[in-house]
Amino acid sequence: MDWVVGIGNEMREDDGLGPAVVARLTESATLQARAVSQLTPELAEGLSSVERVLFVDANVGSDRVELRSIEPRPSRGLGHALSAEGLLELTERAFGRAPRGWLLTIPGRSFDVEEGLSPESEARVDEAEKMICEWMKRTVVAVDG
Amino acid sequence: MSREIHIEPVTRIEGHAKITVFLDDAGDVKDAQFHVTELRGFERFCQGRTLWEMPGLTARICGICPVSHILASAKACDALLAVNVPETAVMLRRLMNLGQFVQSHALSFFYLSAPDFLLGWDTEPAVRNVVGLVQKDPELARKGIRLRAYGQEIINRLGGKKIHPAWAVPGGVNQPLSVEDRDWILDGLPEAKETTLATIKLFRESFDPAAREVLSTFNSMYMGLVSEDGLWEHYDGRLRIVDPCGDRVLDDVHPHTYPEMIHEASEPWTYLKFPHYAPMGYPGGMYRVGPLGRVHVCDRFGTPEADRELEIFRETSSRCSGRVFDYHYTRLLEILASIERIERLLADDRILSTRIRADAGVNQLEGVGVHEAPRGTLIHHYWVDEDGIIEKANYIVSTGHNNLGMNRAVQEIAKTFIQKGEITEGILNRIEGGIRAYDPCLSCSVHAVGQMPLVVDVVGSDGELVERMTQE
Repeated sequence: MDWVVGIGNEMREDDGLGPAVVARLTESATLQARAVSQLTPELAEGLSSVERVLFVDANVGSDRVELRSIEPRPSRGLGHALSAEGLLELTERAFGRAPRGWLLTIPGRSFDVEEGLSPESEARVDEAEKMICEWMKRTVVAVDG
Repeated sequence: MSREIHIEPVTRIEGHAKITVFLDDAGDVKDAQFHVTELRGFERFCQGRTLWEMPGLTARICGICPVSHILASAKACDALLAVNVPETAVMLRRLMNLGQFVQSHALSFFYLSAPDFLLGWDTEPAVRNVVGLVQKDPELARKGIRLRAYGQEIINRLGGKKIHPAWAVPGGVNQPLSVEDRDWILDGLPEAKETTLATIKLFRESFDPAAREVLSTFNSMYMGLVSEDGLWEHYDGRLRIVDPCGDRVLDDVHPHTYPEMIHEASEPWTYLKFPHYAPMGYPGGMYRVGPLGRVHVCDRFGTPEADRELEIFRETSSRCSGRVFDYHYTRLLEILASIERIERLLADDRILSTRIRADAGVNQLEGVGVHEAPRGTLIHHYWVDEDGIIEKANYIVSTGHNNLGMNRAVQEIAKTFIQKGEITEGILNRIEGGIRAYDPCLSCSVHAVGQMPLVVDVVGSDGELVERMTQE
């Protein structure tokens, strides 16, 4: 089983890129797609029984849609929300194992309080969806954007 | 030269805040203030919307406490419609609020505060979090995570979403409980209860009583809802205020009359107002709400396991102690009480009825909704025109009630630990811990977005900033 987890708030424009991408995916016996506002520890137990996970999140500071593998790493966060790497670390430590992880980042342009993506970002969703389809076809370990 | 110490942003709470510590010429603490530095203005931009939108709109005040605002708002709207909410809808609203107590208290205890108790106040900040807790005690962390997930799933099963469920509506709720969902909740109860009892035992036996004084001790009044027979109450009931030793100052007060007894003061250095008990003035009318407040005002919980634990708590922690640290203890007691109340609700088949909503138009132009959110008494007050358009709204949220208490805690802890101007990260964490014990939600209290990091500023007697320490 693989998971695709879209992260973001659909009421803050391009912050909703992750959920927008996830909404395009069709779930199957081997794929679960879910949208979350934040990565919280409650996701860890479910993740511990997953083979691979792909986190999808909006990004600033880059112009490209990028896919990269990630490893468990302690999160510096002091609150209830974690980084993708931090969530994998928590999963491994609390529940014994963590899935192999990837992070797909999509450039966001505007994060105002409004529903819907900016026009520039709409096009990025198509590109992200294609990359996820490629990722889903791969069963070997090495996927490096 | 005297100095000021500023802590900004405050960490592991919801919202943005800053603490300023004022030092005298000798470097000892003269005063301390807890500032809330964000403003959002929900009261203003709800004006002109229909009453039917209010539960959904006000739920957006916060991503941690949406259930609390939905329920208070729906109750205020019930009053505007002047309807009798069907008994099943009341049972379901109660069930959701109890799920909210479980998830919110579990988050506060296991994710935000337990790292301080188990890892130590002076541990490296990078590991003083839930991941650090997993490293130290994976079993406890795993149970805590599952307990919070259980509370969230109760909300999800009832409202269709874990966050911002548009489920409680004026006159009732919009979806009944299925047998399948009732059975799922029932199946999870034994583990939730076992986790909570084990954590209470750990908390009671593992922490040195002296360590509990770390977060300051001072007297105040307490306020909360109680049932007609004086039991712990979270959804309806009457307001009770008790003095520091539990003697009643005010009892059997209809919550709709809150404006007669609660007034709000403002200070130029914070956006968060200071509610106080009006007959005693400001700041003398300080009272506290939330787990500690509710446990102090009620005669007992009214469920067997929680009452057994309450007895032990009252034997070991005098009602007059005023210990801020007891917020954590009482939070755990309330999780237990919530679990037992959930069990009781689900044993009654009326909870499966599909008669869940009363329909009506506007029958009153002013309505008040009051209930207990996990952090304390929550008040929504609306004024509408004949068409149900909101003309004015007033919210007094749990964190606001505790504003005087949080400021007092900051002052006490700073005075205890900061000597001759010496300040360490561990001292900052203790000051934050004093705030964190109240589990404030600043997103709610000033009706704003965001998480709550901490900044401490040190300012000299000449008003110049001497030092700033920040945690991210």
